[in-house]
Amino acid sequence: MGFDLLFNALHDVITGGSVIYVFLGVVLGLTFGVIPGLGGTTALALLIPVTFSMQSVDAMYLAGGVMGATSFGGSITAILLNTPGTAPNAATTFDGYPLARQGKAGLAIGASATASAMGGLIGLVTLLLVIPVARELVLAFGPAEFFLLTVLGLVAIAISARGKLLRGLIAGGFGLMLAFVGSDTVSGELRFTLGTDYLWDGIPLVPTLTGMFALSQMIELALKGGTVAGASDKASQKISGVWDGVRAVFTHWTVLLRCSAIGTIIGAIPGLGGTVASFIAYTSTVQSSKNPESFGKGNIVGVIAPESANNAKDGGSLVPTVAFGIPGSAETALFLGILVLHGIDPGPSILLDNQAEVYGLIVALTLSAVGASIIGLIFARWLVMITHINVHFLVPVVVAVSLTGVYVLEGKPGDVVLAMIMGIVGYLMIRFDYPRLTLVIALVLGETAERSFHQTRMISDQDMIGFMAARPQSLILIALIVLTLMLPSLRRMRQRK
Amino acid sequence: MKRSLIKGLIAAAAVALTAAPALAEFPDKPITFVVGYSPGGGFDAYARALAPELEKALGVEVVVENVPGAGGQKGAATIYRADADGYTIGIWNIPGLTVPQLLGTASGFDLNDVTWLATLGNSRYALAVQANSEITSLEDLCALGRPFKHSDTGPASTSSVTAYIAMNLIDCPIVNVTGYKGSTDTIIGLMRGEVDATIKPIASLNKYVASGDVKLLMTLEDTPSVEGIPSSAQAGYPDFSKFQVVRVIGGPPGIPAEVAAKLSDAIMTAATSQAVTEWSASSKRPVDPVGPAETVALMDELMSFYTQYKDLLANK
Repeated sequence: MGFDLLFNALHDVITGGSVIYVFLGVVLGLTFGVIPGLGGTTALALLIPVTFSMQSVDAMYLAGGVMGATSFGGSITAILLNTPGTAPNAATTFDGYPLARQGKAGLAIGASATASAMGGLIGLVTLLLVIPVARELVLAFGPAEFFLLTVLGLVAIAISARGKLLRGLIAGGFGLMLAFVGSDTVSGELRFTLGTDYLWDGIPLVPTLTGMFALSQMIELALKGGTVAGASDKASQKISGVWDGVRAVFTHWTVLLRCSAIGTIIGAIPGLGGTVASFIAYTSTVQSSKNPESFGKGNIVGVIAPESANNAKDGGSLVPTVAFGIPGSAETALFLGILVLHGIDPGPSILLDNQAEVYGLIVALTLSAVGASIIGLIFARWLVMITHINVHFLVPVVVAVSLTGVYVLEGKPGDVVLAMIMGIVGYLMIRFDYPRLTLVIALVLGETAERSFHQTRMISDQDMIGFMAARPQSLILIALIVLTLMLPSLRRMRQRK
Repeated sequence: MKRSLIKGLIAAAAVALTAAPALAEFPDKPITFVVGYSPGGGFDAYARALAPELEKALGVEVVVENVPGAGGQKGAATIYRADADGYTIGIWNIPGLTVPQLLGTASGFDLNDVTWLATLGNSRYALAVQANSEITSLEDLCALGRPFKHSDTGPASTSSVTAYIAMNLIDCPIVNVTGYKGSTDTIIGLMRGEVDATIKPIASLNKYVASGDVKLLMTLEDTPSVEGIPSSAQAGYPDFSKFQVVRVIGGPPGIPAEVAAKLSDAIMTAATSQAVTEWSASSKRPVDPVGPAETVALMDELMSFYTQYKDLLANK
């Protein structure tokens, strides 16, 4: 049923000439994706007022184009500059950047483009398949499961830092501390706001990510000097390997499928999002690999895993939207905002009342996921030249553009100051070898963890354990948490044999 | 403190200097319309639906500016601190901003001297339970033998305050489960069986009545507006009609009377225009414009109503 409507919508897009909006969205999405710190949410937030004068369906095409393209755009910067263009690409830096330094940026971009497109398609096909049971799925997951999922994410932090367990935990703990700044979601009390109303709503994510990932890396690059690819020998600097990257995705199809599934599921959980999805996808891939030591040094699988997950999450994040008109991610929240702006009142009948808009968005996402990757593959050879530019020219441009973006989003000077502080903290973390992504994951998870913990406590009449024990979906998650914690020990046992 | 005093003086001087010519030709430059919430929310939708019509009525550009943060208080402070020349106005959430002011947690504004221009409309509440629930009345809900659980976003939200004061008025024990992300999510929480009931705007709940997921027990108003559902006044709770969300347009303190009158007239013209009426019908967002005199009276009435419950709110 869903597929008929999809083909109708596809037909409308192509014949109606509205494909230009999708294309415009893709270009915007790629641009915002490539610029460190700015991502899909930034692009959509800035676009919302602009869409007011458009037809609601055209606004959906534009939004879908942006949503589908940003994470691939972000992977380009992640691979070439070790600076994730958007937060979900942070995990891509682990293996993408070492590949670029070895002169294999083409290989990494080819793999990222293909994994993004395939992951996006898998997520959307899954969405269409679950539409008939979307209601039941959304109703099956409550605060207890949200809480357990955040615990699973935090546990993944602990096991991801192989050999650096203590450093990983310190960074994670620091992230949790930052997450508790601002008004308590349950009691409304203000905490650690240092007497300024800037901190009432907590530590904002976009300036933090820009500082942590973009500015810190720019400080690092500026101090090192030279070019990114400077270390590799001249022979391998020729832009080749793009098609090998494409092929690698299909060779590692099990990774693609598993990570797309992880992305789709985590995408459907409000408050977690792409950063967590790609981090868990990467961690699980390393843990289940036969030679985990090869990761972090330029293993192509380390690019495929996070990139397939962070594009698959878009399909997942639409599950709560089609079921009840509620957002599954920051991007879908803005997409619903566009509908509200057009006089549409999203609710449980959104799929019946606003078929054109919902399927328009899905079609735009599909075209965008594939289109962005094709554009990326075409331009890969020129993009890779960035790694040959002297960083003394590169750094000022990236810093200026990132900070401008941070300021433009909300117009708050405080955001710029915070980004700079986080840049210095991030640089110190690079310098002293503490994982930055761990801090960010904890910051993202902290709010949902706290909120859903208190909610579970209240709805279970203070008997959380009894409440969870009576819910099979909670028990499955508890089993997953235990299994994840045991993975390193299991691996050791297997190796000993 | 000192700086705001100086700012105030400068603003006052500016008003004194520009007041005379402004009267003759107001408005002669774009007007900023501040919304204290992000684009895509309810208050933003009202502002953006109104703005094009307001432009027609005033003959100058009306720029909607979102200043989100601190539960709408940042936007309120931005309007309050602006020059009182009529070129900065905005939309206010009442009693969403009344409660922090009463509790002394408000920052940068005082509702008692805002220049109120017009009321755009108000949203009424209803009390809802799961569609297949055995509970059929508020009395059932209060006689569960334990406090009934109510779902809400945050403790300071208008519906939280409503539920808390209303249930205290009739000595009905309630536990407010907060932390849901938006009013739709509080209804989904009810459908998942996490709470026993929820008090939310009628328009939001009606969508889930239509889908067969929840049922209404009563609407919080004098005359019933939903067929087959008693109003709270009919059910014997006359005080409950006071609870509502009011969307009011106001500017900084001390806008000259002539300028304010011009703005009020333009807002009334815009709010009764065909475009806004059509938007209101399609998006199910009520628009019942009310002029400045009635708005000031309503603001006074609501302020004194909530002041009675100041201690109750503080100890919540």
